[in-house]
Amino acid sequence: MFGPLQLALDRLFGTVSIRLWLALGIVAAGVVAAYVVMGITSRLLDRIGVVETIEGTSFERTTNEFGTSTARIITQLSGGFTLLVAVFLAVTVADLRFADLFWGTVAVFLPRLFAALVVLVVGVVVADKIELLVSERLRGVKLPEIGLLPLLAKYSVLFVAVLIALSQIGVAVLALIVLLAAYALALIVFTALATKDLLASGTAGVYLLLHQPYSIGDEVTIGGRHGIVQEVDLLVTRIENDGKEYVVPNRTVLRDGIVRVRDV
Amino acid sequence: MTSLSDVLDGLVSDVDAVFLFGPNGSFYERFGEIENVVVVGPENTVDAETFVELPIPFADVQDRIRFGIEGAMDDELVGEGDVVACFGSLFADDADFVSRVRVDESMRSGIYDLFTNSRADPAVISDVFEVALELGRKGQKGKPVGALFVVGDAGKVMNKSRPLSYNPFEKSHVHVGDPIVNVMLKEFSRLDGAFVISDSGKIVSAYRYLEPSAEGVDIPKGLGARHMAGGAITRDTNATAIVLSESDGLVRAFKSGELILELDPEAY
Repeated sequence: MFGPLQLALDRLFGTVSIRLWLALGIVAAGVVAAYVVMGITSRLLDRIGVVETIEGTSFERTTNEFGTSTARIITQLSGGFTLLVAVFLAVTVADLRFADLFWGTVAVFLPRLFAALVVLVVGVVVADKIELLVSERLRGVKLPEIGLLPLLAKYSVLFVAVLIALSQIGVAVLALIVLLAAYALALIVFTALATKDLLASGTAGVYLLLHQPYSIGDEVTIGGRHGIVQEVDLLVTRIENDGKEYVVPNRTVLRDGIVRVRDV
Repeated sequence: MTSLSDVLDGLVSDVDAVFLFGPNGSFYERFGEIENVVVVGPENTVDAETFVELPIPFADVQDRIRFGIEGAMDDELVGEGDVVACFGSLFADDADFVSRVRVDESMRSGIYDLFTNSRADPAVISDVFEVALELGRKGQKGKPVGALFVVGDAGKVMNKSRPLSYNPFEKSHVHVGDPIVNVMLKEFSRLDGAFVISDSGKIVSAYRYLEPSAEGVDIPKGLGARHMAGGAITRDTNATAIVLSESDGLVRAFKSGELILELDPEAY
């Protein structure tokens, strides 16, 4: 009675090789592993405070509009990647030779793609956060042009993130790196030029504050300015004489020397 | 038969400006439609357009209102003859009183001037006030002490005074406002002489004997040598003197040789 059915089943299981069964098992295990990884990732992100840190960045707000969040995107990415690894493993085990070449390339490419995506997401979030931080620091400065600075900081970070992501997936980025180097060089040169006087005055100020060759209340002449010292700080010395207050950069104090009037 | 709200209407009718003293966000929102709202408080927490900063939380409501109105007069938000309604809190943290005040030039007692138009930083002056008030409240080891702080124009003050002993603040870089410095000032308050503090708050010297010319300095009778010295030095220089009296425990501020403000430390 059961004979023919039994035979059919036997034949069915017989034709499907043991490797295929193993592959199916691996896929199933992969699904479970993916869920576990997703759970761990989301809890980890929560625990190290990523969720609060990135709150309020524009990327986070955009993701919220699409009904998701940055943390969830990263979680889903990690889960998807785990699943992909499992599928890849399964295919290898199942020994599907016809796809060997294709899967070989994919095996190399997938982790890189994953890394690139993560770098991109992290880069976008960090860029947004930096924009927020910089604009918060500059909020006291009521200048319309000041709005450029946070944007500049944001796009600098974004640029570097895109650069790393592109190089991860093997796109030629040499030209972009040259661009980055030129940008960094310009930044350093301009900063050095702009803060040259500040640095010189600052180092002179450290000497003045440590050794106090003159102090508040002394009568001095510095660089032709004669008067009573009212204030010495890191960058400038304030000398007052007859209702005139001279603000002398500390640089000049060391360069021109000090005349202390001891007695008249 | 007049109801209570009619009486209240009389208080706030035809006012030229409304002053809110330390309002919270929701209370401020309720004034959204009304013009000429001036917020007075230690911090502009409600992002109000017109804001007068209170350097010390005046315990005396009259002082608080006077300071706010003086500040607004200085910024030309209100002028002589204007009538303003003041909302503020007396007992609780929420607004619980309203007061109708006529702005008058005679209200310019110089309290606002003392903080904003002094040589020294407003923050430095309020820091020194805080030290003096705390010293007055607690005293030195429970005993009442006196102290004299001369704030601002330190170069000139140093030239109008002489050291009584070695200056403990020589070659140090301490500023008022740091918590540890307040302890130091308290400890040094047993020394005789004045503290000299610069415009930016650096403590230049302790142990200074002030030598201003005291001619023509008019300070209330009954105040001693410390107040006389403090008052006189502010006439000779552009400094502000903040004096804690040993005998009656009050904190007084002098500017241009005149007594500007009198505070009772016990009230803070």
